[in-house]
Amino acid sequence: MSTARKTAGDQPWWQARAVPEGRTLHLTLGPLDLAIGRSRPTWLIRIGRQPEADSEARLKSRVARGLPEPYDERFVQADETDTIRLEPVLADRSIVIRPRQPIHLPGHEEITLYLSTPVYLRILAGSPPVLLREVPSLVLSDTWFGPSTQEGELCYAGRTQARHRIEELPLRPHRAITPLLIRNRADTILPLEKISLPVPMLSLYGAADASLWTQRVTLVREGNSDLAKVSVDAKAPDPGVPIEKLAGPRKDPSRFGLVRAFSVLFGS
Amino acid sequence: MSDTLHSLITSETFLSIMRAVVMVGAGLLLASLGGRLTQRLLSKRLAPQTLQLTRRAVFYGVLALFIASAMRELGFSLAVIMGAAGILTVAIGFASQTTASNLISGLFLIGERSFEIGDFIQVGETTGEVLSIDALSVKLRTLNNVFIRIPNETLIKSEVITITRYPIRRYDLMLGVAYKEDLDHVREVLMDVAEHIPACLDEPEPIMYFLGFGESELQIQFSVWSRREDFLKFRSTVATAVKRALDDAGIEIPFPHRSLYAGEATRPFPVTVVDPAETQSSD
Repeated sequence: MSTARKTAGDQPWWQARAVPEGRTLHLTLGPLDLAIGRSRPTWLIRIGRQPEADSEARLKSRVARGLPEPYDERFVQADETDTIRLEPVLADRSIVIRPRQPIHLPGHEEITLYLSTPVYLRILAGSPPVLLREVPSLVLSDTWFGPSTQEGELCYAGRTQARHRIEELPLRPHRAITPLLIRNRADTILPLEKISLPVPMLSLYGAADASLWTQRVTLVREGNSDLAKVSVDAKAPDPGVPIEKLAGPRKDPSRFGLVRAFSVLFGS
Repeated sequence: MSDTLHSLITSETFLSIMRAVVMVGAGLLLASLGGRLTQRLLSKRLAPQTLQLTRRAVFYGVLALFIASAMRELGFSLAVIMGAAGILTVAIGFASQTTASNLISGLFLIGERSFEIGDFIQVGETTGEVLSIDALSVKLRTLNNVFIRIPNETLIKSEVITITRYPIRRYDLMLGVAYKEDLDHVREVLMDVAEHIPACLDEPEPIMYFLGFGESELQIQFSVWSRREDFLKFRSTVATAVKRALDDAGIEIPFPHRSLYAGEATRPFPVTVVDPAETQSSD
C-alpha cells in the first residue's frame, strides 16, 4: 500500500519542486491531470480530468522535458527561482455527505465514521510563493442544506461509503479523511441520511504515506432535533505514521456552536 | 455716500443678514461633512439602502437646524414659519397630487423593504438592478444597460417581482416527447443530465413531472435548482444538455402533427407511386 502512495524521489507530492525553463511538472492525483510548464516569464497550466470511478488510486508526480500543448491558462512571473508548490487545502464550503446506504443511530449510542472529501490544490509559484490559482481535484455538484429553500447554506454534495472501520478505507490520494464521531444523546433514533461536514473549519494534515487527514470532528445531538453541537479536536489526527500540518482552516472555527448538521429534508 | 454705506454696514439688519448667510454656509459645509463621515463610518455595517437613508437624514437634519437658526437670526418667529409651512404644504399637496403621491409611496416602499439597492426586480415587462430608491422614483439599470426611472406610485400599485430575494432558484423546462416513448426511460435520461451538471443542485432534487397528453406530444416539466448567481447561464446549459441527451438516447421531441382525414363515406386520396426512372425516360 505504501509503495503505491509514494511519489518519485520519496518525497510527498506537495513538496516544492524545481521546474526549470522548458520543462513541465505533471501531477496525476486521482481524477485530476495537472501540467504546469515553465516558459519564462510565463507558467503554462493545463487541467484535465478523468471520471472518478476509474481513477481513484492514481498518483504520479514528475518533471519532464517539453511544455504543455495546448494549455488552458498562462500566468506571468519574472521570478527566477522557478519553483512550484502544490498545496492541498480543503474545500471552501461545507460538504453534505450522503452515505450510500442510510445509517440509523439509536438513542444514547455513538459511532465513528470515516468520511473522505476531495481536496483542492493551490498552485504556488516562485519565492516567496505567489498563488496562481486553486483547482479542485474533483468538481463536486452544488447542493442546498437547510430546513427550507429560503433558509440554509450552499454546500457541495458528496457521496461516500461512510465506513466505520479504518482498515476498510480505500486508497484515494485526492481525498482527505475525516474521522467523525457522532453521539446521539436524545431518546429517538437518528437517521444519518445527510450529514453536513464543515470542512472549511478544519485543518489539513499530510502523512508520510501521502494520505491526507483532518482533525477529528465530534457532533453531539442533545435534543430530538436535527441540530447538533460541533467540536473539532485541537490535536492532529493519528493515522499511525508521521504527520505534518499542510493547511490551516479557511474559516474561523471559533464561531462553532449549535449547527444544523443532520437533515431529513425535501421529501426524503 | 460713504456715510450712508458705513451706516448700512454697521446697521443691525445688515449684520443679521451676514450672520444668517454665514450660518447657512456653515450648515451646508457641516451637513456635507456629516453625510460623508456617516458614509465612511457605517459603509461596512449597513446595507446600501439604509446607508443612503442615514446619510440623507444626517445631511438634511443638520442643514435644517442651521437654516432654522438663520431664520431666527433674521427675526422670523419659528412658530409662524411652521404654521405657514403647514398651510403651504396643504396648498402644494392639492396642486401637485402626483408628486405627493409618489413621495408617500416612496416612504411605504422603503418601509416595506420588499427590495433593496442591488436587488434585481421585475416590474411589468421591465427587469433590472435597483440603483437607488429615491423620494419620487426608483432607478433601475436593465440587463442591456439601459437606465430606467419608475415612479414610486407605479411600484406601489403594481406587482413587483424581486428576483434576487432567495439564494437558490428553480428552473422549469417545459418539453414534449413523442407518444411512443417510455416515460421511465425519459426520466432516467433527464436525471442523468442533472447529475452531470455541477451547477445543478443535488438538493432540492431535480424532478420530472408528467403534465398531460398534448396534441402531438406527452407534456413534461423538468424542474432543476441552481444558485441565483448562476441562473441565466444555468438555464441555457440545462436546455442544451437535455436536447443533446434526448437526441443521443433516440427520444423524439415531436413537432405538431396533423392527420388529414377526408371522412368515412369518401374514398381515400388516390396516391400512386411513380418510378423516377420511368418519368425520366418518358421526357
